[in-house]
Amino acid sequence: MARLIMFHGRECPHCKKMMPLIEKLEQETPVRFEKLEVWHDEKNADLMRSFREAIAPKCGNQLRVPTFLNADTKDAACGEVDYDKLKDWALKQV
Amino acid sequence: MKKRYWRCYVCNDIHYGVAPPELCPTCKVLHAYVEISAEEARKFLGGGPDTALSKEDFRVALERFTVGNEFELNPDAGKVDLLLTGVFENENNHGFKYCPCRLRTKNWEEDLKLVCPCNFPIHETYKNVKDGECWCGLFVRRK
Repeated sequence: MARLIMFHGRECPHCKKMMPLIEKLEQETPVRFEKLEVWHDEKNADLMRSFREAIAPKCGNQLRVPTFLNADTKDAACGEVDYDKLKDWALKQV
Repeated sequence: MKKRYWRCYVCNDIHYGVAPPELCPTCKVLHAYVEISAEEARKFLGGGPDTALSKEDFRVALERFTVGNEFELNPDAGKVDLLLTGVFENENNHGFKYCPCRLRTKNWEEDLKLVCPCNFPIHETYKNVKDGECWCGLFVRRK
């Protein structure tokens, strides 16, 4: 199983909106995300920074949250996405 | 272009920029600015009045900032409150009012671009977008 990470921020409204969709996705599919908060946990922040080359080109050249990352293939998606799009992306990763 | 510090010789306003203002915005004297060192500028600013800004003060300041601009604060008050909580958490923990929806890179110059309010009108989420908003959604295009 690929290592899928959701980088999120505690006070990011986009992340807050995506969280229930992630939970729904995990209930309906075998997909599992590691949910790593980056503004209050420097270790998680450094991990996200270490994937900058993979994340930034897909996210307006920024380290945006939420970011969904396949840590093995370095495929990334970010921002608020609708459920079906998120599901398509996630299922391609596993 | 390297930014430097300038001081008005009449009223002691401090300016940080590549060039001084021709007209001092406070005392309205022409050609009043002289270059000073960063250390001197810090002394002038550090000895100034306490201008601590609460979250509500900052919200009001941002509302004033939008007047006359093509954008406004997001009408969703709950979203604004969450974002401003994040902005203040980031100031406490990391030194500046960084955007809660982008991670700082630890590069000084790059990270200054994340300080709220950022220059979002040039961003892809706003520029030429009908219902454009800044990265985090704090500012939205006025309807």
